[in-house]
Amino acid sequence: MSDYLDRFGRGQSMCHRWPPLAKLLSAIAMILAATCVPIAHPLIGIVACVIFFAHTLARIPLAYVARRLLFFWPPLFLMAISLPLSQSGQTGWLLFATILVRGTLSFSTALWLVNVMPFDQLLATLRRLRVPDVLLAILSLMYRFLFVLWDELDRMRTARAARLFRKPSLWATWRSAAHLLGRLLIRALDRADRIHGAMLARGWDGRSRWIEQPREDRP
Amino acid sequence: MHIQDGVLSPVVCAATGAIALGAVSYSVHRLKQSVGDRTIPLTGMMAALVFAGQMVNFPIGAPVSGHLLGGVLAATVVGPWAGCVAMTLVLFVQWAMFSDGGLFSLGANVLHMAVIGSWGGHAVRMFVQRFIGDSRKGIVIGSVVAAWASVMAAAALFCLEFRLSWPPSEIDFSKVFTLMVSFHSLIGLGEALITGVAISFVLNQRPELICRTDNPVRLKNRTDRIVRPTVASITSTLVAGLVVALAIAAFLSPFASSFDDGLETALSQIGITDFNLTGRVPGLLEDYDKVPVPVAAWQTLAVSIAGIGGTLAVFALAWLLGRALPAATQNLNSEATGE
Repeated sequence: MSDYLDRFGRGQSMCHRWPPLAKLLSAIAMILAATCVPIAHPLIGIVACVIFFAHTLARIPLAYVARRLLFFWPPLFLMAISLPLSQSGQTGWLLFATILVRGTLSFSTALWLVNVMPFDQLLATLRRLRVPDVLLAILSLMYRFLFVLWDELDRMRTARAARLFRKPSLWATWRSAAHLLGRLLIRALDRADRIHGAMLARGWDGRSRWIEQPREDRP
Repeated sequence: MHIQDGVLSPVVCAATGAIALGAVSYSVHRLKQSVGDRTIPLTGMMAALVFAGQMVNFPIGAPVSGHLLGGVLAATVVGPWAGCVAMTLVLFVQWAMFSDGGLFSLGANVLHMAVIGSWGGHAVRMFVQRFIGDSRKGIVIGSVVAAWASVMAAAALFCLEFRLSWPPSEIDFSKVFTLMVSFHSLIGLGEALITGVAISFVLNQRPELICRTDNPVRLKNRTDRIVRPTVASITSTLVAGLVVALAIAAFLSPFASSFDDGLETALSQIGITDFNLTGRVPGLLEDYDKVPVPVAAWQTLAVSIAGIGGTLAVFALAWLLGRALPAATQNLNSEATGE
């Protein structure tokens, strides 16, 4: 799972070497442009080109982008298709196209940002933007716990699969999934308790401290 | 469930963003007030848990599966303030790491899932519990109703935002709303079922983990009063009323066409009509004028069935889950306080 996220975040391309704040701001500017320009305007093509160019600059493989888009389109398509289906006339189709184009462009921009900006850089940037410390502390802990819980969930799924000999009914599947969720909740809260104890043992007093400069030389 | 960028207009995004920012700041403020050394790891774990919990699949048909949304579950375990913060961070990380949802529509997503889910869900649960009591049954029934109402309220709010986002002249919004509401009444049922079963499971296994009205949350044997929800009862009733009203409004929204004129003038006064779509798609699409409109004829019937059926199903669900709990429900209040 971990290599699914910000997979190319540690690359060494030109985009990766930009200052973090510049990456964030340019991504915001691009999304702003993608969502504000009317779709029939030629400018939208330029925005699309810039986003595409940014992807190639960052050396993000196109196959990866295409795969992510493949998973991204169906829900957006479902949401957008309800417009032309319920209207007669071309307004519905125009709105449909608008939503699809804007959604796709801003999604690719976000994808670019994810892949040129590792999470610790994002945290440091948010800190420079004066996001409250409490939020950042929770966020950084959440990021750590996430992978642990995913592994925990994987183990529980494996255990469930190993104990299922026939295809259960729909209700049984739902029940076992909800129980899985409840069990995960109990284990997670117990783990939070143990982690809190470990943090106390290492001098945690409820205030978060940060290393001023995040290290650049991490692998 | 996530709204992508491009679905809502920039002005609506800015407005929802401002409201969400205010609500989350207030939650952080309340969280800081109650801050103890364990709030931060607990909230972080709750956020990670909701994130991971959304990956548990609940199959519906062959290719389609649903998942938990988690606002009500988070509020039930850690209280409304921490729950709201945790859900906000979940939505943020989903954008920042998965590009799921949008940056500018983050405000709307936070408003729908974190604020309505946690604040609203908690308020509705407290409201229900006032009638049924603080027993396990009260908690389960309360959270089932809260989960359903929060999804429907979010749907109603989305309809409103969508309505404000696009030029009001040419679109027949009532049909779009019909689709939205029918769809969300199913999502709401799923969320209610998942939340109810998960919470009753935890109540059976480890009842002390669930956040009650008047007792602090206790993990293991600790009794520090950190994540205690302290919604004043009047505020709680007000918020609950608002959420329920929104949920009802969801079912009324397709019918509320007379509302349009007033809204339209209001919009043109603020100048939102500037976001009109310029340009026309040339002739290619003209033929679609004759696309049959399956929804239109069934509109009234569909919404009525979704509304009435959904409501009945939620009450049946709440009742069944309440029944399914062990009959020998000891009074947890005395158990929790009597140390």
